[in-house]
Amino acid sequence: MMFTQALKHLVLILGGIVVLAPFAVMLSYSLKSPGEIERGTGGFFGAQAPMVDAMCFARNQPDRAALEAARADPPGQSDDVILDRLEAERRDACSMRPAVFNYTKAFTEAPLLRYLLNGLIVTLSIFVIQVVVALPAAYALAKLRFWGRDAAFALVLFCLLIPVNAVALPLYLGLAKLGLTNSYAALVIPWTISAFGIFLMRQFFMSVPDDLVDAARMDGMGEFAIVWRVMLPTAIPALVAFAIFSVTAHWNDYFWPRIVITGDRDLFTPPLGLREFQAGADGSLYGPMMATATIIVIPLIAAFLLAQRRFIEGIALSGMK
Amino acid sequence: MATVSLKGIQKSYKDTEILRGIDLDIGAGEFVSLVGPSGCGKSTLLRIIAGLEAPTVGDVRIGGASVSGTRAADRNLSMVFQSYALYPHLTVAENIAVPLRMRRLNRWQRLPLIGGLLGGDASIAADVRRAAEMLEITPLLDRRPGQLSGGQRQRVALGRALVRDPAAFLLDEPLSNLDAKLRAHTRTEITELHRKLGATFIYVTHDQVEAMTMSDRIAVMMGGRILQCDTPARIYADPCDLRVAEFIGSPRINVIPAEADGAGRIAIPGCALPLRHRGRAALRLALRPETLFLTDRAPKLRGEVAHVENMGHEFVVQVAVAGLPSRLVLRTAMPATIGQTVSIGFDPALALVFDAEGRRCRDVTVCEGAAA
Repeated sequence: MMFTQALKHLVLILGGIVVLAPFAVMLSYSLKSPGEIERGTGGFFGAQAPMVDAMCFARNQPDRAALEAARADPPGQSDDVILDRLEAERRDACSMRPAVFNYTKAFTEAPLLRYLLNGLIVTLSIFVIQVVVALPAAYALAKLRFWGRDAAFALVLFCLLIPVNAVALPLYLGLAKLGLTNSYAALVIPWTISAFGIFLMRQFFMSVPDDLVDAARMDGMGEFAIVWRVMLPTAIPALVAFAIFSVTAHWNDYFWPRIVITGDRDLFTPPLGLREFQAGADGSLYGPMMATATIIVIPLIAAFLLAQRRFIEGIALSGMK
Repeated sequence: MATVSLKGIQKSYKDTEILRGIDLDIGAGEFVSLVGPSGCGKSTLLRIIAGLEAPTVGDVRIGGASVSGTRAADRNLSMVFQSYALYPHLTVAENIAVPLRMRRLNRWQRLPLIGGLLGGDASIAADVRRAAEMLEITPLLDRRPGQLSGGQRQRVALGRALVRDPAAFLLDEPLSNLDAKLRAHTRTEITELHRKLGATFIYVTHDQVEAMTMSDRIAVMMGGRILQCDTPARIYADPCDLRVAEFIGSPRINVIPAEADGAGRIAIPGCALPLRHRGRAALRLALRPETLFLTDRAPKLRGEVAHVENMGHEFVVQVAVAGLPSRLVLRTAMPATIGQTVSIGFDPALALVFDAEGRRCRDVTVCEGAAA
């Protein structure tokens, strides 16, 4: 008994380590200086010794006005002294802790806030439209009797089997023909009808007693009123579970935005933003890149922690009736 | 309050016939029970009246007007479900208010948040309070259904039904989820509620005790038909079908095979009776347990006591009689011991005679002094 318990925990802990290790590396890199990352020193947090931002240092060459001002205060110094002093000032102004460097870089090098906003707009639009479509569809499949219902549900199941990548090209061609590439529409429209959402909500609605629907009809509700006033509130746990699946998938999606957003950086979603730090002329900037990655995953982790209890309820589908 | 009448209602799913032609007229303010074993179609019939199912053939009239094609919401009926079917996300007060909100408020007033600003809630709140007071659930108004006991939920379901003034109340086995004590109590309460409201009640149950104690009239249903619809007293004392006689009454009625000879003289195994039939026939005699008594004077049947139940105020005795397919059950004030041989008598005039198909034979006559 004790042994099997210990074994279970051991397996779970090993699994946890495998899943969490890349996260730990990401977090650690986002705090360290480039040198520490390259040499693999500094432990988890790095030494946090002040470092000089080379680009900042190079960008802020003193102009003539600054030189004149330095020459006048105090007057009568040799040019070498003045230049040395200005350089030291410049070095001071451009030196900072690696963690600060990485995270400020993440926001200044690329319009990360814009990308986060794009991510928010896209994932929320997708989720809201998915719910607007999936709830009535799932209600009809679970609670209404009509000709062809089972066939319709079989089609939904079939749609679950179609891999996204298989239909990416036709989808792209369709959107391109409509002139919709490089727009929010291109990011949102292909995902608005979620077979998985319909399936999940249908399974949940099957467990809602028929009497509840009939009671709502007797109380004077129409079918759409039943969907939004009775089914939606009872389905909150399942909806939260679906929200987590949907939002995570589309917040993290790199494949589809990479295809339909070709030029306009204003439409980049957070994962596309990560590319900004990919190997340029002066090599990859791992620190700011990992800082960006950390910032991108924080909203998801926060959302999961907030919804955790409901999420598990939704998956267990208990506590009903 | 309105009349409800059913004309030739039939319902079938694919090849299965559920209802085979139901005709029933329910008067305004009447309490009618639909009673029968499970699968007899009584719940389907109620759902057809409610508009939750459409009949295959037939017409439903409420207050004299046909409602075929009218959806459930527009029939102005209230229904109480077996599972109560309260909205789990709403408080008791909100649950009771739903039928009023759907009818009295317009689309904009029903919207969350904005709706509250538009007003129109005052009359609803007053009506909810009135219904809650009638059912004594005022202290529960702020709770959610999940925090209530079965009996309390049942009251809330009743409250939701009676908060408005419907043409009729439909109740689908509302007591079957309650424990025995609460069931007896609620039975009285629903009957009193019916008297107070004076509304039309249609009550579905499989429990003949509920039907007997609450109704003005009982419709006994079996196999998709109404076998008999009459007052509880007539249903009990004068059933027109053996199945009705067997279904109503507890303990169950005793059925003894009987035969009429060429002259119409009726006899049960081992004893001729002073009853006359119109001719030769295989018959069945049904005798309520209270019509049988233990006697030594001119007994009609003899048997051995097989089982005794002490009810406190009386004994229910099961007697195994040789030649009879089932034990006879009788009520007696005297204790009997198991294994004891007893003699049983009854008044032949109280025997209900049925033919081989179970139909009541009403042309049986009692001839005085002709006992063998």
